Parts: sequence; structure tokens; C-alpha cells
Amino acid sequence: MEMEFRNLSCGYGQRRVVDGISLKLKVGEVVGLLGANGCGKTTLIKTILGLLPVQGGEVLLDGKNIKNWTSAQIARVIGYIPQMHTPPFPFEVLDVVLMGRTAHIKPFSSPSPQDVKIAEQALDMLNISYLRDRVYTEISGGERQLVLIARALAQEPRILIMDEPTASLDFGNQIKVLSHVKQLAGMNIAVLMSCHFPEHAFIYSNRAVLLNEGKILHSGTPGETITAERLKTLYGVDVDIVSVKNRMNQELRVCIPSRNFALQPMQSMDRRKEYAFA
Amino acid sequence: MGHKKIYVIGRVLAVKTVIKERIAEVKTKRDAGWKILILLSTLILIFILSFALGRYPVPPGQLLEVLASRVFPIEAHWNATVETVIFQVRLPRIFAAILVGAALSTAGAAYQGMFKNPLVSPDILGASAGAGFGAALAIYFSFSMLGIQMMAFVGGLLAVGLTYGISLRIRHDPMLALVLSGIMIGSLFSAAISCIKYIADPYDKLPAITFWLMGSLASITTRDVYMVLTPILFGCILLYLLRWRLNVLAMGEEEARVLGINTGVMKTIVIVCCTLMTAASVSISGMIGWVGLVIPHLARMIVGPNYRVLLPASILLGGGYLLLVDDLARLLASMEIPLGILTALIGVPFFLYLLLNSKWGWK
Repeated sequence: MEMEFRNLSCGYGQRRVVDGISLKLKVGEVVGLLGANGCGKTTLIKTILGLLPVQGGEVLLDGKNIKNWTSAQIARVIGYIPQMHTPPFPFEVLDVVLMGRTAHIKPFSSPSPQDVKIAEQALDMLNISYLRDRVYTEISGGERQLVLIARALAQEPRILIMDEPTASLDFGNQIKVLSHVKQLAGMNIAVLMSCHFPEHAFIYSNRAVLLNEGKILHSGTPGETITAERLKTLYGVDVDIVSVKNRMNQELRVCIPSRNFALQPMQSMDRRKEYAFA
Repeated sequence: MGHKKIYVIGRVLAVKTVIKERIAEVKTKRDAGWKILILLSTLILIFILSFALGRYPVPPGQLLEVLASRVFPIEAHWNATVETVIFQVRLPRIFAAILVGAALSTAGAAYQGMFKNPLVSPDILGASAGAGFGAALAIYFSFSMLGIQMMAFVGGLLAVGLTYGISLRIRHDPMLALVLSGIMIGSLFSAAISCIKYIADPYDKLPAITFWLMGSLASITTRDVYMVLTPILFGCILLYLLRWRLNVLAMGEEEARVLGINTGVMKTIVIVCCTLMTAASVSISGMIGWVGLVIPHLARMIVGPNYRVLLPASILLGGGYLLLVDDLARLLASMEIPLGILTALIGVPFFLYLLLNSKWGWK
């Protein structure tokens, strides 16, 4: 399965947010989408999912335009993992995962034992079978995000789209959730993940796409794509990218700010005086 | 040797866990079944009790005999009035109370999920206000009882139709657009009701309109029950068939779409079902508040949010509750108390009690 955007434009009504981008996604790869707030990441994702109408160009799945596909047709191919959220009703975790089967269930039917088995396998794959009978609104944020990944797996998609899946998760839960992303790619799924940290693209993706003001600034392997200059263009801040080794002697790249504010003398009071005299 | 032992113990433990899990699964399913069964028996109990209660007391033994005589050939050795009271007065009223209570609760449960908001009631889109307007207009023009009911039904459909039509033209979050236009259309029809009351004859028409709006099942006939049976059954059955999709819709519109639901069609079906049920109920009973808001909450506290069990629980609880309240309306005072007053007088403290004392069915 291959997904391709050809000269794709998206936006809301008259306002165009993403302007003519072209991109290919193949099964087995993780593509990290980087860009500042408001650069069009979420708009692009919503358009791919069919939540917003395509404004120009086309989205192709194996060469077929999905413009006129029903939401069920799309859901059988594309899975979606939203940001962490709390629904108002206390559904059981198994029911939430079973919702991933909806596109495979006839309108007047309920999930079959076969669907339950698929949902249980998805929970098992993420090592969260112990959550099966718990209440979704009562488990931790990290666990909830893993349940959403299990739900997307139960959907049996070929393409998985994640919109900042670790936003509002704590440090440990970010790593726990992201550690499963590579595993997904190994299951013959293409993953498109929007990230809010460049490190996440370095560690968890095969390819990085930089989105700047609705256009692709650069795309390629994370190592050669994510540079200090491009991050300056994207986010408007000075950072340094350094290579470090972890205790497993694996090389990792991290982004650090170019100024350490803790080491700088406190200037604020003097500044205020200067302003007062000026 | 040691390895083998550990392996065997491991296998035994694994099998044990699997069995435990299975038992737990069967248990939760059976628990829900038990709860529904208890609710059903409670409803049947209230149903039988309601026959015996009233201004004209019917002893239980005689009641059973009279009921049985309809099926078995039993010699009628009782007063003919007993039969009239049971079959012409109490039977239709009991059925109407169950039907209206069930319809309002089911509509409330469906709307609360669809709007992802547990504070929504069946009249959120203006169905009650529209029905009230239709009825008030019909009373003003001295229509027959049938005419009043028809006008109320049509008024309810009209109001929701307007709300829906307007919401499609609002370029905004579609759910918010629905709620907003619902509130506005509801207010508009309420104002129209006030207007009719203001110009109505204060000795004749005004009290009739006022009493109608307070809600009552006192003048229910068998024909009324037959009339509302179709729309209410239609709504309940269709919503029950869509029970799984209602679950998914309760996760939010965008998510439901991404999971493969055509939310536009689904929303329209839910609105049609709920409006048919609400308008039909209001047309024979007048405005009865609080049932459609409180009962789904109570049902959710008992059986959880899954519509597979939530809908049956709402139907049974709603029917039983309104039947009980209607019995009180008949018995409490020497004069009938309007049903709408009682449902609020009982419903509000009860709702507050639930909010203060138990785990909520939502977050």
C-alpha cells in the first residue's frame, strides 16, 4: 500500500493553509511531520482523513483518488490516533478498542466475538491487556493513549496517522507511547506522525518532512533534513544539534537551545532601569 | 527437571488466568442481564399495582380474575363498572404512561450521546415548544381533541425541522450550530405560546391551554395509545438497531467519522427518531419535563454507558418512573395533579440527590 499526495492544497473555506504539497508514504516507514504551530500540520491531517474537503490536487491510495470514498471506505485503510482526550462517558476500555472495528461492522450490527478477539489481540500487542475491563476515563493519560493506538490497530489500517500523539503526556509516557511507533511500522503499516519535538523525528522516524507556512521546506532522512538552520526557519529560535551516545553506545541526536539562560547574569532589573531612564 | 516443573506451573497459571478472564467477561455480561431483568420485573410490578390503585379500588383477586377473563372463559360475576374502569380508563392510561416515559427517556439517552453532553434533554431542538405551540393554536381555534393532538405532533416536527434546516446554514461546529438554533427556535415558539395565551379567552381557552401545557394523562383513550404506538416503537427499534453506532458517536463527531461512520446520515436518523418519539409523546400527554434528562442518567449509573444495555434500561426505567409518578398524580390529592408539575417536583430533588451522593455516569 502506498499513499501519495499530489500537489495537495488544504484549508478552511476561503483560507488556504497548505499549498500544493507532494509527498509519498510507503508501508513500513515512519514519516515525522515537523512544523511550528499553525503551519498546517493538523489541517493536512484532517484533509487526508476526509474531515476537510480537498481544496486542490489529490490524495491517492495505490494510485486511486479517494475524493469520493465514504468514511467507512477510508476508515478501512487509514487509522487515526488523536491527541489525548477525555470523552464524557465512562466506556470500558474493551468497548473503546472495539470502536476501531466500526468500519468493518454492518450498520445495524454490534461487534462479533471475532471482533472482540481482534480487539484483545490489539491490547495484547501493546502489553495493556490488563486494562481490558477498566473504565477508559479512569486510567492514566499514557494508558489512554496506548488504548487509542490499540483502537487504531483493531481497525486493521494500512496507513496510520498520528497528530502529536504525545502532546500533554508526561516525559515517561511520551517515551512509552513512542516506543510502539516503530513496532507499528514493522506490521506493514505506513505511519505519518506529526511531532512537536525534533528529537522525536530523530529517534522514531525514518524520514522527516518539514512543513513551513503550508509548504514543504525539506524532506529526507531525519539526519540530513533536520539542521540548525532549518529549525531556525521553522521555529525562529537558535538551536544546536549535537550527537550523543546513550548507555547502549547508540548514537542519538538531540536539539538544545543555543543559549543557556541559567548561566547568564540576571539582567532584568538593570534592563528595567535602562528603560526607565530612556 | 527444574525447568520443566517451572514450565508446567507457568502453563497452569496461564490457563488459570485465561479462565479467570473468561469468567469475569461472562460475569459482566450476566450482571447487565440481571440488572435488565430486575428493571423489567419492577416495571411489571408497578404495572399490575397501577391497575388496582385509584379512586375506584379494585381488589387484587378480582383484578386478576377480570384480566384472566379476557383470555380464559370465566363467568363475569362482577360489576360491569369494574370492567369499564380497568379496560377503558386504567389500561390505556397505564400504557400511555409507560410509552411516554420510555419514549422521552430513550430520546434523552440518544441525544445525550450524540451531543456528547449529559445535560441535554429531548426538547433540546425545540420539539416540546413546537408541540406546545401547535396544541395552543388548536385549542385557541377550538379544534377537537384529535385536532389538538395532530397540531401538537405537526408543531413538534415543524420546530425541529426549522432548527435542523437553520443549523445546516450556520458555518460553524455542526453540533454547536444545532444546539444554538434549537435554543433559538425553542424560545421563538415559547414566545408564540405566550402570545396565544395572552389573546386567548381568559375564562375558557386560557385555562385549557395552561392545563394542557402542564401535562396530564387524565383524558387518555385507547385510540390515543394506538396513535402514538407506531412513532414511538419506530424510534425505539431503529435507535436500538443503531446501538453500536450510538456508542461511537458519543466519542465525538470527528472521531466517529474517522472510525468510519457517516455522521451526517447518522445524526439525521437520530434526530428523526427522537423527534417522532418526543412529538408523539407530547401530543397526547402535554409537556412533561425532567424524565428525558434524569432517567438516562439513572440508567447510565446502573448499567453503564454502552447503548446495548443503556437503551433497554432507559426504556424500562422511564416507563416505570412515569407510571409511578402518574399513579401519584391520580392518588395524592382529591383533584388530579398535573403530571409536569410532579415530574419536576420529584425529578429535581432526586437528580440532586444522585449528583451529591453517587458516582456520576459521566465525567
